[in-house]
Amino acid sequence: MSARDLHGPGAPWGPEAPGAKANADFGVVGKAHRKIDGLAKATGAAVYTDDLQLPGMLHAKTLRSPHAHARVKRVDFTKALALPGVHAAIGGDSMPIKYGVIPWTPDENALAVDKVRFIGDPVAAVAALDEDTANAALKLIEVEYEVLHAYFDPREALARTAPAIHESKKGGNVSKSVQLDFGDVDSALSQAAVVVEDDYTFHGTTHAPIEPHCAVATYSADGLLTLWSATQITHYVHRALSRVLELPPHKIRVIQPCLGGAFGGKSDPFSLEFCVSKLAMLTGRPVKMLWTREEVFYAHRGRHPMQMHYRSGATADGKLLGVDAKILIDGGSYSSFGLVTTYYSGQLLTGPYHFPSYRFDSTRVFTNKPPCGPKRGHGSVQPRFAFEIQLDQLAEKLGLDPLEIRRRNFQGDFTRTVNGQRITSNGFLQCLDEVERASDWRARKGKLPFGRGLGVAGSMYISGTNYPVYPNEMPQAGVQLKVDRSGLVTVFTGGNDIGQGSNSLCAYIVAEELGLKLDQVRVVAADTDLCPVDLGAYSSRVTFMVGNATIDACRKLREQLVAAVAAKWECAAGRVRFIDGLVVDLEDVSRSMSTMEAFQLAETKFDTLGATGSYNTPTLGGDYRGGTIGASPAYSFTAHVVECEVDVETGRITVERVWIAHDCGRAINPMIVAGQMEGSAYMGLAEAVLEDHDINRFGLHKGPSLLDYRIPTSLDTPEFHALIVESLDPEGPYGAKEAGEGPLHPSLPALSNAVYDAVGIRLKHLPFTPAKVLAALREQRAAAKQESTGALARGAR
Amino acid sequence: MARLQLRINADLVDADAPDHWTLLEVLRYRLGLTGSKQGCDKGDCGACTVLVDGKPWLACLTLAASVQGRAITTIEGLLPAHRRAGGEGADPVQEAFDRCGALQCGFCQPGMMLSARALLNRCPQPTREQIRDALSGNLCRCTGYTQIFEAVESCVAEAVGAKPDLRSWEAQLAERRGKPVTP
Amino acid sequence: MLRLPKFELRTPTTLEQAIEWLEEAGPSALIVAGGTDLVPNMKHELFTPELVVSLAGIAELRGIRRDHDGALSIGAMTSLEEVAANELVRAQAPALAQACSLVAGPQLRSMGTLGGNVMLDTRCQWYNQTYFWRQALGFCMKKDGSLCHVVAGGKNCVAAASNDSAPALMTLGANLEFESAKGARETPIDELWLADGIRNKKLEHGEILTRIRVPPVGTGHRGAYGKLRDRGSIDFPLLGVAVRLDLDSAQRVEHADIVITALAAQPKRISKVVETLRGLEVESPEFASACETVAALAHKQCRPLPNIPGDHDYRREMVPVYVRRTLAAAAARSGPVHHV
Repeated sequence: MSARDLHGPGAPWGPEAPGAKANADFGVVGKAHRKIDGLAKATGAAVYTDDLQLPGMLHAKTLRSPHAHARVKRVDFTKALALPGVHAAIGGDSMPIKYGVIPWTPDENALAVDKVRFIGDPVAAVAALDEDTANAALKLIEVEYEVLHAYFDPREALARTAPAIHESKKGGNVSKSVQLDFGDVDSALSQAAVVVEDDYTFHGTTHAPIEPHCAVATYSADGLLTLWSATQITHYVHRALSRVLELPPHKIRVIQPCLGGAFGGKSDPFSLEFCVSKLAMLTGRPVKMLWTREEVFYAHRGRHPMQMHYRSGATADGKLLGVDAKILIDGGSYSSFGLVTTYYSGQLLTGPYHFPSYRFDSTRVFTNKPPCGPKRGHGSVQPRFAFEIQLDQLAEKLGLDPLEIRRRNFQGDFTRTVNGQRITSNGFLQCLDEVERASDWRARKGKLPFGRGLGVAGSMYISGTNYPVYPNEMPQAGVQLKVDRSGLVTVFTGGNDIGQGSNSLCAYIVAEELGLKLDQVRVVAADTDLCPVDLGAYSSRVTFMVGNATIDACRKLREQLVAAVAAKWECAAGRVRFIDGLVVDLEDVSRSMSTMEAFQLAETKFDTLGATGSYNTPTLGGDYRGGTIGASPAYSFTAHVVECEVDVETGRITVERVWIAHDCGRAINPMIVAGQMEGSAYMGLAEAVLEDHDINRFGLHKGPSLLDYRIPTSLDTPEFHALIVESLDPEGPYGAKEAGEGPLHPSLPALSNAVYDAVGIRLKHLPFTPAKVLAALREQRAAAKQESTGALARGAR
Repeated sequence: MARLQLRINADLVDADAPDHWTLLEVLRYRLGLTGSKQGCDKGDCGACTVLVDGKPWLACLTLAASVQGRAITTIEGLLPAHRRAGGEGADPVQEAFDRCGALQCGFCQPGMMLSARALLNRCPQPTREQIRDALSGNLCRCTGYTQIFEAVESCVAEAVGAKPDLRSWEAQLAERRGKPVTP
Repeated sequence: MLRLPKFELRTPTTLEQAIEWLEEAGPSALIVAGGTDLVPNMKHELFTPELVVSLAGIAELRGIRRDHDGALSIGAMTSLEEVAANELVRAQAPALAQACSLVAGPQLRSMGTLGGNVMLDTRCQWYNQTYFWRQALGFCMKKDGSLCHVVAGGKNCVAAASNDSAPALMTLGANLEFESAKGARETPIDELWLADGIRNKKLEHGEILTRIRVPPVGTGHRGAYGKLRDRGSIDFPLLGVAVRLDLDSAQRVEHADIVITALAAQPKRISKVVETLRGLEVESPEFASACETVAALAHKQCRPLPNIPGDHDYRREMVPVYVRRTLAAAAARSGPVHHV
């Protein structure tokens, strides 16, 4: 039995289900608990990848291309290998097999085979006694390049086909193009009372986790490759290593140690993982590679720059009739998740509002810049930015309150979107209510002094995806429980805890289901030798999928435990209840035992105890090519109200306060949910006002450092108010959905809308630099002047 | 290669390291004190913050030999110092960070907690503004800082025996559910 | 991790010892104070000295005192944090205290020293980068190359003076005391600068900045510092404005001075400031309107270049705004002018 069979409309936590559980009825779920690894992190005991030191370990470094686009004619290691302390040097020919996280678009090599495609593209790697020797060896490698024309402007890359960045790809520099139509947009818009058409720009940002990428490999004498890596996708790294190194997968073990932040930036297989593996195989010694911060900027996979054109129409009472989008996506030099990004840029816009007709035309092109990929809110933050501003523009034309137009177009729960996605629980209206109330919207919107404003925006995001990256019918998430005579349960999960707390989630669920104290549960995660497969920490899938798989395993185990105790007590199974480390008889309070005793009884009665659980999505998605991309077993919903102040003299926007209402289904640990909401909003706002992953005229990243790429300090962060909305999803674990990515989306458009309320300028092109604000204010004054001159002239007539 | 003598946490320790090694490299790769993290290479992120004579200091910009004879505190030193002083559990700052959800990925937090510890040592009851200011050299990418501020405030409240203010989500959920959400 | 190039480090405990070692080693030796500027620069291979002499162990270089003549004497190795918090400095040199309180972030202020900040290398977006980055660029004239990427065809390096303390010290008429094997010399900070971004200080090899002396001021002294930057902490200035006003007993301006940094190789004194403000009572409307005039003068005189990050047209647009606001702050005995 898998979890999908366990739940359904009659799930025990559904709002209308018979015997629906209020939060008060849970022991652990729904309350704020510490994380199981919190104190280890607090005391410095937690081990991250670069904290590993193995005997005899060598240190590796990467030689990178100084050219944005060039053919690699020759790589000569003679001098580098002659340097004392150098143990091995490798180039592209050592690993010629291409890979890519999406199996349909393998276009990356661990080290350049024939071409380099951006400044920073890896060309060669060296393993040496220490980092200094490795660095010295890099300077001795001779590389001959034939420099090619480089593309930095996606429009040029679209128009010009030679030289192609990927020669094997048909269609010049187009990475992926998707056109999908739902309903007749043109006729819908021709009937609209009001139509808004405009251009919007997303500039490009990166994840900047504080921990740089790092990997360590060993290769045992009997041919077992072990890789420790700062990755959020252990399983896909495992598969990619097998492919590129041509090793059978059972001879590879991948382990994710404690991870120092990811946000999507560690969800591709990366060059360093292959390099340390290959170098360990060649030298027979452990090899570590730690990237510098600059190298992390080159690895990138950050949010795609998008040039977006939107046209939307509504009836006179504000009902949306159609949305028409055309998007040019700058993909950078490789595909990464780009196929999915291209779909997501259109597919994920179809909620929380209903519109009867929709068309999008999205094209991703290659350019000679660091490759873009998935960043928190993958593919949908940019279109959401455009569309939520456009909604405000429509509301303004119609004389409607921006919050009201969002309410009027609410799609409802348990419905289908225009592109065929199944919506289950949907708490968006309550999200709007919460931010309206908390921000005192009605009393303050449009009524604040000049320079201060309020703006609202909404959004929807997936809780996992039924598209498992590589097609297969196996579970997306698996969990195994090991029960010990000591009273301890160990959870083995392939899930990647990247700081979001997924290991703690497993512990909370096991403690809830088996009535254990939290310290009676330990979690072993993200080790391919020990843990059943989970696909990884991406697409906001972990709580939903790993959570369900954990429940599944627990219920199987609980059945055995209950049977053993009931047999001992000679009572009906229904009387046996597991609570807080004890087993009690509901009808005879004098009778109880510890769970440890229950475990021993069950082990005596049945055999060595253990259980597995799994989750897979139901069949979902629209019935058309690409219809499964964007299909999720549940969607989260968010609304933000942002309050900002604009200094009209300096153009600086200060975000003062943000009210974040997020429908995460059941908040299994509301403190962790709040942390995800605050962290998301922080990241979104930073993208709006500070951060810019900018490539200069030479193709160089403008400032690949945490000094020049300005992520906010504690002084640059507004006051956040996290407001949790729980719409209890019938298929989520205890009704839970995601909280880690959805709450980022509305930050950017809500800020733009707040600036409009504050000073009357419509910021549509990110980032909102003070210079841009001043320019817009100047334009506004010029227009007002023209207007008043015109009025004077008209008056004179 | 120089023989360094460093006062780290409660110990006077010897370490051999080349002159061009930073304190961070000596701590991490010579002494195994890997709680001090490396995030930016060059003084931009604060993950390597240690205390030198009680002041927050970036180990990645410190030439190890230049702090010989000074008292260096790393994250590994807080709990034992707290225990030596007769305390239980971890240092109150560490406990508060854990209790308040301030530890997401945890990578920036050793440095953050040491900055917070230095603040509380010189100013036991800081305002929110003073907290923001004192932590402004430690970048955190996960939390949006709110739960960090709340942790420091919770630590202060605990020290004076007061109850910290309810957090937005806590107040809102408690109202809806009719009972507290924190155990 | 980004590594430092190899060098030998010495940590003398007396000034004499430091001077001797520097003299012996010749130009291949460098001085390090707090290390917050030199260490990242060495990691970028902008400097690859054979010997580094740390001043950290020399006690006589630390501390703040008032000399017999009433001047403040600040040891070059006094931390920026200490300067910012020191009561004498706050009273006698408010612009300096404010400027030091806004340098970088808290850790860098406890490590960084006033002397180090005065001696800060100039900065440029084409220069403060790793060796790999600069190599991919083809280098620039300040280091390893011959071209300027700021000014096409430019013959002079225009990397920007980026030290917050320098403009404040200039308005205060500070003197710098150096010692070397040749003996001691004292020079007004105004005379330190060269209009050359490659090396913007007149300095002989082996000279150690030992103390910074700030002459006494009258009771009517006012000062403030304004700093433009993107974030509330950590960042170098995109523009730094130091203001000095000296008022008579009737609150009328007797003397005034404005120095602006983060423009080009040296901090720039705005001319005609005192002429415009002299005799005006600081709470009068005339003073406010004269401040507008001064702001316009500053705008005319300052032309930021695309040397440091940030839109240079915007930085220029901010010159009058920050001049006006910092003047107002000085007059009101408030400040610093900073967005957080």
